[in-house]
This record gives sequence, C-alpha cells and structure tokens, in this order.
Amino acid sequence: MKHYLKIKINTKDKSKVLLKLNNIGVDIKNIEYLREALVCDILSNDLKRVKKYLFSYKLEIIDDKGFYKLIKELKKNILLVVGLVFSVLIFLILTNIIVKVNVIHQDKEIRQILTDALEEAGVKPLSFKKSYQEYEQIITNIKNNYKDKIEWLEIEVKGMVINVRVEKRIITNQTVPKDYCHIVAKKSGIVKKILTRKGVALVSINDYVNKDDILISGEIKVGEEVKDNVCSDGEVMGEVWYKASANIPLEYQEANKTGKWRFNFLVNDGLKDTLILKRRIKDSEIEKKELFKVLGYTFYIAKEYEVKRETKSYSTNEAINKATEEIFAKLKLKSQDTDKIISQKVLQKSVNNGNLYIEMFFSIEEQIGEVKEYTLEMEDDRVDKVNN
Amino acid sequence: MKIIKNMQNFLLDQDYYIDIFNNCLHVYYYQTLNTLTDNLIELKLKEFNLIIEGENLTVNSMDNHEILIKGLINSLRFVR
Repeated sequence: MKHYLKIKINTKDKSKVLLKLNNIGVDIKNIEYLREALVCDILSNDLKRVKKYLFSYKLEIIDDKGFYKLIKELKKNILLVVGLVFSVLIFLILTNIIVKVNVIHQDKEIRQILTDALEEAGVKPLSFKKSYQEYEQIITNIKNNYKDKIEWLEIEVKGMVINVRVEKRIITNQTVPKDYCHIVAKKSGIVKKILTRKGVALVSINDYVNKDDILISGEIKVGEEVKDNVCSDGEVMGEVWYKASANIPLEYQEANKTGKWRFNFLVNDGLKDTLILKRRIKDSEIEKKELFKVLGYTFYIAKEYEVKRETKSYSTNEAINKATEEIFAKLKLKSQDTDKIISQKVLQKSVNNGNLYIEMFFSIEEQIGEVKEYTLEMEDDRVDKVNN
Repeated sequence: MKIIKNMQNFLLDQDYYIDIFNNCLHVYYYQTLNTLTDNLIELKLKEFNLIIEGENLTVNSMDNHEILIKGLINSLRFVR
C-alpha cells in the first residue's frame, strides 16, 4: 500500500520548486498553493530524496494520509480505542450472559427437575444465552423427557434473567379397564370385514349400519337371557362415502434459474434472514450455507440465483390430476383411518374465472367401529326403549 | 490500483494522450516539464512541445508520466 505524506514546503517561487520536484521524478498529488508555501502529498519513499534536493527550503510533514493516518490516529488514541473495544466486549458479554434462572412453579419437585434439566442443557447462571432455536430445542427435549410431569413449558429471556414458566401435567384419565362396552358404528356405511375378539357380533358382512348402531355387543346372551356382560373387543371395517371438492387455478407461475448468480452474506437472528450486502439481483432465489454462529446470530454465505418467472397454464388433465391430489390430501385429514379407496367418481367439473372447480365422490373402506362404554342400567333403559 | 493502471496502459497504448475538461488539462506520457508559470506551461512530449497558455495555471498533481493542470486555459499549441 502506498504511504502518502502531506508536506508543506515554504517558498515564494512555487513553480521553481515544482520544476525541481518534477526533475527528480517525484510523484506529487493534491498540490495546494498557499501564499508563501506549497502543500502537497508525496510518497513516504520519496521524502528522503525531496529533503536532499530541497535542502535549502524549509520542509515540514503536516500529516499522514489514508490508512496510515488512521493507524497514526489509533496509535495516538490507543487508550481510548482499547477502552472502547473493551467496553463493547464487556457490554456484549454482559448482555449475553445469564445471571439467574427462575423456574416459576409452586411444586418443589418440578422446580428441581427443571433446574437440573436446564443445567444439563447449559442454561445456568454465568453461562451464555442461547438462540431462540436452541431454547425451542431444549423445551422439546425437556417435554419429551418428562412427558408425564410437564404439560407446558416456556422459556422467557428478560435481560440477564431467564424465566421458566411451567405447567404441571395432571393425569386424570388413567386407563382403567372398562367394565362393559359395545363396539358401535361411528359412521354410517356397509360392513365389509368383522374381526371379533370379545363379545358377540350383531352385524354381518354387507349389512348397512347407521351411526351408533351396535356392531359387536358386550352382552353375552343365551336365548333371550343375558348371561354375562363383557367389554367387547374387535375391529369392523366398513365402506363409507365422501364427497369432496377442490378449486384449482388453471394458471401458475414457474421460476426458472437463468444461470446468473451473485454471492452475498446472510444473518439470521433466530427469527428472520437478513441480507448483509445489498441485493444485487432483483428477482432471485437464495440458497444459503451456514458459516458460523455467534451470540445467537447465525451467519451464512448465500448465493442469489436470478430467476425468470413464467406464467404457465395446466392442461385440463393436469388440472384434474392436481385437483384430485388436493382432494386426496383433504380426505386424508378428514378420515385418518382410511385404508383403501374402493371407487371414485367425478361428480361435477367446471371452469370459472380461470379456476377449475371439481367435485368428487369417493367410496372408502375404513375402520367404522368405536368402543362405547355402558352400565347395566343404561343397557336396561335401551332395551326398554327398543321394546316400546 | 495497479490493476487499473495496467489496464489503462493496455487500453491507452498511445505515445501520448491529452484530456481537456472543466478548466483542467490532463496529459499522459509527457517527457519533461520545461516551463511552469501562472500564464504558461510548456511540456515536452515525444514528437512535439505542448504549450499551454492561460490564466492562473497551476499543477494539481504530477508524476513521471502524467500531469494534471488546472486554470483558465486560453490556448494550446503544438510546436514541432
């Protein structure tokens, strides 16, 4: 790096001095003409030569230039600089250090469990704070490890204090063996398969059953007389019917990479990504690779890929396939016990305002039986109702 | 900075090069500065002498090969 010095040469005949300097081939920049002096920048390497050739002139160095000036200023104010850096460091350390971990709960056992678990995860006094994702991970781990004790857990960072709020899990519905139960239909449909482990099957294959009909009874009868009551156990598969619809826009946007890309850097504060350098490609997609993590911030090297967005349209068949996929996804949410689709049929199909509307009918084989508990009094009432 | 210089040398591969802009005259590849006064500056280039006449002529920067002159330039003469 070139080291320029600002010098002042006292002279009345500035032209003469400049000619002399030119003769010895000195690189001179930013010449200022004062009344009885000449101020200019010269290379520090040339200073010795200039002094030698201009020995009869009074020459003084006024200042350093550029980076060297900065270094000189820093050296001059070394105490201030060191103090500033040190205080920034101290500030950063203090703002990122935990001085107290408060577990807020009245149960001593829960407090102890959480304190130990947090300490194991590195959340303890006089340790560094963690990032939002790390706290989320710690919460998930603690919840998994103490499933039977912790219902809900929250870690709140308040300055240098960590407040941990917790809700104890109260298990009320202990799985006590049921006394008497039927397997009843939870949906209307046609029975396709029956597997009875305990109890008496009241329906046959291909029977149509309504919702709440008893499929496997817990009452063991001999003739008309009830000999025993059990908790029936078994599986009943039935054919049930669904209607579902979807609306698919016929036009969609496809982004294609053009091949042009630029490097950038990205920082994530735990919530969102922020580009460090100005975005150089207007319409771009970003791919990132983690570089390092510091004080809860994650730094990435990112590549901005230029993309060209094209508006494309589905053909009718493609749109129908897309809509069918969407309907299947909806159906999965609606009926988690779905085993297989027996048949499907498009009921309605129309194009309106660039959207394809499709309504479909599905016939699905799924589990339709569910356990329903009863007491002997309830059963007597039911029988009376049926007889009346 | 050296890269820029090298590129300039490559692109401006001439015996001399003279730029005039906003009361400034920039001369590349001059050989010697013969005269320097407020009203007249004489530069020796490879094939001729360049005589610059004007008012309040001052040299702003210079090194072995190039010179930047500022001032009110009235005439430029090429003396062969």
